[in-house]
Amino acid sequence: MSNQKKRNFQIEAFKHRVVVDPKYADKTWQILERAIHQIYNQDASGLSFEELYRNAYNMVLHKFGEKLYNGFITTMTAHLKEKSKLIEAAQGGSFLEELNKKWNEHNKALEMIRDILMYMDRTYIESTKKTHVHPMGLNLWRDNVVHFTKIHTRLLNTLLDLVQRERTGEVIDRGLMRNVIKMFMNLGESVYQEDFEKPFLDASSEFYKVESQEFIESCDCGDYLKKAEKRLTEEIDRVGHYLDAKSEEKITSVVEKEMIANHMQRLVHMENSGLVNMLLNDKYEDLGRMYNLFRRVTNGLVTVRDVMTLHLREMGKQLVTDPERSKDPVEFVQRLLDERDKYDKIISTAFGNDKTFQNALNSSFEFFINLNARSPEFISLFVDDKLRKGLKGIADVDVEIILDKVMMLFRYLQEKDVFEKYYKQHLAKRLLSGKTVSDEAERSLIVKLKTECGYQFTSKLEGMFTDMKTSEDTMRGFYGSHPELSEGPTLIVQVLTTGSWPTQPAVPCNLPAEVSVLCEKFRSYYLGTHTGRRLSWQTNMGTADIKAMFGKGQKHELNVSTFQMCVLMLFNNSDRLSYKEIEQATEIPASDLKRCLQSLACVKGKNVLKKEPISKEIGEEDSFVVNDKFASKFYKVKIGTVVAQKETEPEKQETRQRVEEDRKPQIEAAIVRIMKSRKILDHNNIIAEVTKQLQPRFLANPTEIKKRIESLIERDFLERDNTDRKLYRYLA
Amino acid sequence: MGISKDRIKFNVGGRLFETTATTLANAGRDSFFGALFDDEWNLSPPSEDSIHFIDRNSDCFSVLLDLLRTGDLNVPANITERLLHREASFYGLLDHVRAAKWGPFDGNRLRLSDSVKGIAPGDGTAIRAGPDGGCCVAHGSVVHVYDWMLEEHSPINLDYQRVNDVGWIDSDNIVLSACERLGRGEGGMGLFSSSSGDLRYKFQVCHENQVKSYTAGALSFSPDYKIFSSCKGRSNEYGVGVWDQITGKQTDFFYESPGWSLGDADKLQWLNGKNCLLVATLFPRKDNCYISLLDFRDKNMVWSWSDIGSPMAIDEKRVRDAIAMEDSNSICVVNEFEDLGFIDLRMYGGSVRWSSRSKLMKSKMPDEPCYPKLALHEGQLFSSMNDSISVFCGPDWVLTSRLRRSYGGSICDFSIGGDRLFALHCEENVFDVWETPPPPII
Repeated sequence: MSNQKKRNFQIEAFKHRVVVDPKYADKTWQILERAIHQIYNQDASGLSFEELYRNAYNMVLHKFGEKLYNGFITTMTAHLKEKSKLIEAAQGGSFLEELNKKWNEHNKALEMIRDILMYMDRTYIESTKKTHVHPMGLNLWRDNVVHFTKIHTRLLNTLLDLVQRERTGEVIDRGLMRNVIKMFMNLGESVYQEDFEKPFLDASSEFYKVESQEFIESCDCGDYLKKAEKRLTEEIDRVGHYLDAKSEEKITSVVEKEMIANHMQRLVHMENSGLVNMLLNDKYEDLGRMYNLFRRVTNGLVTVRDVMTLHLREMGKQLVTDPERSKDPVEFVQRLLDERDKYDKIISTAFGNDKTFQNALNSSFEFFINLNARSPEFISLFVDDKLRKGLKGIADVDVEIILDKVMMLFRYLQEKDVFEKYYKQHLAKRLLSGKTVSDEAERSLIVKLKTECGYQFTSKLEGMFTDMKTSEDTMRGFYGSHPELSEGPTLIVQVLTTGSWPTQPAVPCNLPAEVSVLCEKFRSYYLGTHTGRRLSWQTNMGTADIKAMFGKGQKHELNVSTFQMCVLMLFNNSDRLSYKEIEQATEIPASDLKRCLQSLACVKGKNVLKKEPISKEIGEEDSFVVNDKFASKFYKVKIGTVVAQKETEPEKQETRQRVEEDRKPQIEAAIVRIMKSRKILDHNNIIAEVTKQLQPRFLANPTEIKKRIESLIERDFLERDNTDRKLYRYLA
Repeated sequence: MGISKDRIKFNVGGRLFETTATTLANAGRDSFFGALFDDEWNLSPPSEDSIHFIDRNSDCFSVLLDLLRTGDLNVPANITERLLHREASFYGLLDHVRAAKWGPFDGNRLRLSDSVKGIAPGDGTAIRAGPDGGCCVAHGSVVHVYDWMLEEHSPINLDYQRVNDVGWIDSDNIVLSACERLGRGEGGMGLFSSSSGDLRYKFQVCHENQVKSYTAGALSFSPDYKIFSSCKGRSNEYGVGVWDQITGKQTDFFYESPGWSLGDADKLQWLNGKNCLLVATLFPRKDNCYISLLDFRDKNMVWSWSDIGSPMAIDEKRVRDAIAMEDSNSICVVNEFEDLGFIDLRMYGGSVRWSSRSKLMKSKMPDEPCYPKLALHEGQLFSSMNDSISVFCGPDWVLTSRLRRSYGGSICDFSIGGDRLFALHCEENVFDVWETPPPPII
């Protein structure tokens, strides 16, 4: 100080601080604040955007950004508080309208305020990481209006009440509803979820809980499902009309849970209208509805499928074990096919071709078809019936369809070798008697069997066809080399390879001289062209066409079996023959002879012989004369042999036995194959592997496998391990 | 003929302008003009005579109006950049200015647009281009941050520890990796605001649930919001750490196996197609070079290469930088004479196929050499050597351009991003900004 005193005058340092008008910020803010008021009061016509923008810009530029920011928040909050009071005061129906109106006003004002504060938004807020103007405006609305205690619950209740009213059939203002809900969405996902969606879902859950209980007491299953479906579409529509698209999944799951999942068992098992009833009555529409609804809930389809499977198995079991049905194999198989068609149609029309349902259908059929041991036989008989007569006049395409269906059933069979056995027999009969309707169909089926079971399965069947073809050529060659035979009886021989055909005991009989001469000629011709072969005559399988003239000059051509021919030829030389005489002359075994005579004398319309005394059965003491009064409107008369179409009990046993006998080498081969590769294996594993390997052909019996193992041990193919008796070793 | 309704008159700082609403519409809704002509503010019906007054600089308005008209930026000499940027900021047209200033990046059409001289002491460590045209330069323990207008913001530092690497997460966030300070838990890795320079978050390394102090090295980022950094801890925390960009939490750690080097890496590069991280530790940081690809999903080193045991007689074949090129399934490496070499990524244990482009360089090495660096940008390969940067193109990597400026000495680092190339010189603390000019008029 003393230093300064010495000087007379003092030059003040040139150091003016640049001072802005201290009231500058307040003044500027006042302008802006007034503008915000005017905007909220919808009185903005006198405002200059340029001026307001520039003022806001200047405040930020002069470091009053925070003041501007806080000011805007305070002013807006005050306005919103005022608005919420106005909304609160609105009565009844006008409440929502008022809210919506104020919300629209706020949005408009917010947009304009944001425009004014655009520079602050871009610079001050950006660098200080504060909330931007627009989201801030929404937050303020949320906190001061939507969450205002006197509005919050009232708003929610109003909305829920409107939904409830719409559910009970009233018409509501969907546009207003949409706007208000949209407000929630604009305020952010969490606001929408917490303040509307969650309570909405809870209320819906409660509503459908009560309603579903009501419905289930008063409706049958079909009606209930219809109502559930209607509710579901209503809720989806509601989402489309005024909710957030994301809510669709949530609300539908509420309806699904309350209306379907919670009543699933009761619906499926409903007396007289549940699933079984629908299946029985082919209610495709109801079934489709059930499928589509149940598909939406966990375990829904499993429930439907389980009940269907149970029903199918029960129904199938009754079908195949009913002794009445077993009487007619064709009818039996036709019923199976019909059932399959029925369920196929249900699955394709109502269950959307669901693979799991198809699997259930297949496994059910597999289950019950094998309950009846005669199923393989019946299926073969069904095919036989179709190929004998059933396919006449049916287009190729349809033939294929029938065959494919049969193959479907075939696939279910566990004992495919039994089927093969029967099929061979039936095919042999068809081929030899020339009864097969369509060669093409026969071959087509064999191709199908081949693709299904492999070459081995059908090689013998194919051999039978080859024999038929070769025989034709042989016959041509035979008559070519014996031109003198064109006169007199014609002999057609079919040479069958032993082994390819079902073995039948050769039943000898005395052929008439005319025929036996021919047979000898053929024998010497055949053995002359082929060396190292043996021929034996299967007379029991032949047929003959013979011309006959009866007492009054009626001429007929009779189509008869070889045995019948032998009998009839006897009557060329005598008018009356006793049973004993016939038996002596022909040497046909008694049972065959009786059957043959029965068909010649006892069948009405076909009785070329007359029996004395007249009765249905053939007795040892009977005698026969030519029936002179025989009449038929046809020139050609076919005399059938009385044959049991189905196997008799002993025959069945025999077939069964043959099948079992045939299985033995197959089981043994499987055991050897497995042991050859594995060298050492324990008992249980062998059983398992053999069963698995043979599954495509038949279900091997464990005791039988055990027997085969014993037999192989005896023959030194295998040995037991010295220490562990359960282990088998392969002996190379 | 009536006056078009489209026409608009302005009085800017006393000067009259006439333009059309269509021209102003180019400014977009989030601009001064967008708001001014929004329906809400269009209060009185527009009359022919109404003139909008704007209290701003008229010369700048004229430049910006031309920008809206043509998309081209032509600044007369009497207008400084700062003034122009200030005015553009007022109208909300800064993005328009930036978009008009330089064109899409093409290494063969680059022009030197600016040279910025810093005040930092000592040599620069690294320069990193930001996504929107800015950059940051690491010098010793401080990082200087520049925005796209090349205005410098507050420098950033992590406890004033030596900076090893920096990187941009986005235009507002920079990650910095630094050496630790013994015993004080300082250094490591931090996230900073590029505009204010504030430290926003410090990343931690945990081992067996214990927070450890560490030195963070090279950085890399992946598009699925991960940060990778090579780490050296006190005891055995050597390896590559992984953090989540959103939560900031450490999510993974790949420990270095004995006889290999990860924690000291010079370079990390995330390979998006292979879902792998390239880690390269190079001479002279270590005596040998180690390059490996890490797959973090099953903690597996899926590919590796090293020059251990290879004949070192030819000394010049030392790898000084490496970069993976996913498109050609190879890794490009460079030695100190700027020879490029390639290693096939599809083979394990392959060797370097050198393309001995020029041995001429050997003769004229400058006094203070800088090791070459590599960069890859949209099929163009860049390598720096001494005071120039070479550009290579095509499947055989033919030399197509060379960027050079005599001032500032050797280039110690360069970086490409935001359609700009930044080259940091080791003397004078200068960095150059290279841009592709806007496309020709016709």
